[in-house]
Amino acid sequence: MFDALMVGVDAAFQWNNLMYVVVGCLVGTFIGMLPGLGPITAIALMIPITYSIGPSSGMILMAGVYYGAIFGGSTSSILINAPGVAGTVASSFDGYPMARKGMAGKALAIAAWSSFTGGTIGAVMLMVAAPTLAEVSLSFYSGDYVMLMFVGLTAIAAFSSNGEFLKAMMMTIFGLALSTIGIDPSSGTERFTFGQPDLLDGLSFLLIAMATFALSEALMNVIKPDKQKDEDMGKGNLGSFKLTKGDVKEIAPSVGRSSVLGFLIGVLPGAGATIASFMAYAAERNLAPAKYKKDFGEGAKRGLAAPEAANNAACTGSFVPLLTLGIPGSGTTAIMLGALIAYGLQPGPLLMQDNPDVFWSVIVSMYFGNIVLLILNLPLIPYLAKVLVLPKPLLTIFILFFSLIGVYLVSFNTFDLFMMIGFACIALLLRLLTFPMAPLLLGFILGDMIERNFRRAMLISDGSMNWLWERPLTLTIFIIAIVVLFVPLFGFMKGRLNKTTATPD
Amino acid sequence: MLLRFVLGPLLFLMFFTVYGIYAWQIPLLPFEQYEAVDSSTLPKIYAGLGVIFSFLGVIAQYIKYRDEGDDHAPLGLKKENIKTIALVILLMVIYSALLEPLGFIVSTLLFLIAGFWVMGERRGRILLLSSVPMVVIFWLVMTQLLDIYLAAGTFWS
Repeated sequence: MFDALMVGVDAAFQWNNLMYVVVGCLVGTFIGMLPGLGPITAIALMIPITYSIGPSSGMILMAGVYYGAIFGGSTSSILINAPGVAGTVASSFDGYPMARKGMAGKALAIAAWSSFTGGTIGAVMLMVAAPTLAEVSLSFYSGDYVMLMFVGLTAIAAFSSNGEFLKAMMMTIFGLALSTIGIDPSSGTERFTFGQPDLLDGLSFLLIAMATFALSEALMNVIKPDKQKDEDMGKGNLGSFKLTKGDVKEIAPSVGRSSVLGFLIGVLPGAGATIASFMAYAAERNLAPAKYKKDFGEGAKRGLAAPEAANNAACTGSFVPLLTLGIPGSGTTAIMLGALIAYGLQPGPLLMQDNPDVFWSVIVSMYFGNIVLLILNLPLIPYLAKVLVLPKPLLTIFILFFSLIGVYLVSFNTFDLFMMIGFACIALLLRLLTFPMAPLLLGFILGDMIERNFRRAMLISDGSMNWLWERPLTLTIFIIAIVVLFVPLFGFMKGRLNKTTATPD
Repeated sequence: MLLRFVLGPLLFLMFFTVYGIYAWQIPLLPFEQYEAVDSSTLPKIYAGLGVIFSFLGVIAQYIKYRDEGDDHAPLGLKKENIKTIALVILLMVIYSALLEPLGFIVSTLLFLIAGFWVMGERRGRILLLSSVPMVVIFWLVMTQLLDIYLAAGTFWS
């Protein structure tokens, strides 16, 4: 393992890769700051560029963009209460009140230091956890993979949508259905192509990602503009960026706890940065001594440090299932999975053996990336924040342009552009009807893998469903999936029951 | 209005029904007919699950409407915003159609200027300053630095 690690260190410290980390962090921060654009859009916009620079550099760039975007999302959460990323919503609970009190600089510094610590602790844990899990996962069968993906899909539906579980499930199945378009990889049969040759290869993941996130988010800003946030943008002085000894003493325990919690949640498929940040916030609020508790929601430093540490650690944690099992735990890592496959690499337990340079250089580059975020991005924040005062009309049209040209640069086919516009219109309507988008993307990307593994499992068991309960591991994962699926339904029914008993006619 | 609440699940119910009908019509190859899982198995499962969840969704949304009334209804858009979005979508369609015939530089310039105009920007200087340098820099980075091909325009060649 040490030799492989050294290969990664060598690759990560090549000057061009160091540059990609810096560029990735800066671009990610810049895009993550824009309200409405998150890491998925940022990474999707990078894909055409990564195709020309090789897998290690490409993954390093995308990883840099990922944690840069999370960091950038915190900035817009704190400064204008408009999180660019769902994972930084919890940061706005106390970050924005701090900014309103004239402590925007301090809030940004707390966010940066907490993110740095969370990311670094996460990278250390990733270094230990990834090889171990990769070894364990070598013993996984196709059936285990099907069940793991099933857990991922149900978990993201159960956790991602503020109680709108049924809507999330509809979107997940919609994504799975879209993944069946094109030639069936096992038999070669055409499915849902309607005689259209452009559909034979199926829909590209980049097209779906761009349509459902970048394009529809930009269109959403046109159809439902948020005037208040537009007016707040870029106002005022940021104040001092210095942290006192007292501040550090106050936030240090929260950052430590939240980093570990964030990493563990990030590893779970379907959970990710958003849940990690909310759980860390809730945990800190419960654990806080009475004198700090009352400050939560009013500008508590712990309330800002905890979700920041947790969301960065969770980002790092989400690389564990991606690199070791080849299963993305979130929409963002799903895009990275698509990119790895496009490079001709097979993410999964063998990635560490077959491509140690890719595997380890991504992990090693994370240390450097976290340092870049701290020493480069933090001082640049006052300048980067100027992007928030860019006129909305210009920004929206630029986003539309980058999304369209990003897809065109990969396929060089205008049919894809028309398809993307069509999907963006559907996504816009669904957004207006408050349907969540992430489950659709995850369903779409996992659909193909689920089908292949399901068919393999059925073939191995000679057409019987025995594989579901023959191995304790498969059965355990299956039970977890069922529990994750039914808990929200029980919650809904219990809520209904309580309502009925509480309001007798 | 009840329709606003149940519109989403209803659309999904229709989609999954049509998807299911097509799933049952997927032509199977001769060797597939004796297999436990064929090309149409998972589409059929997805269609079934989709119909079940969207039907449950219609019921859940109806209950929500009954409990909360119109106050929390989704949609609710302003007419001028609908007009703007329709124009922006139309622009994207025209840009996609003109990208190859007119080439990257001309079509993108037209798209950006028209887009800024539709979004309410009327100052000529801003229209030009925010589009021309952007297009030129992007073109230089892509074609000269990264060696990525951009459509030159069939109309000009």
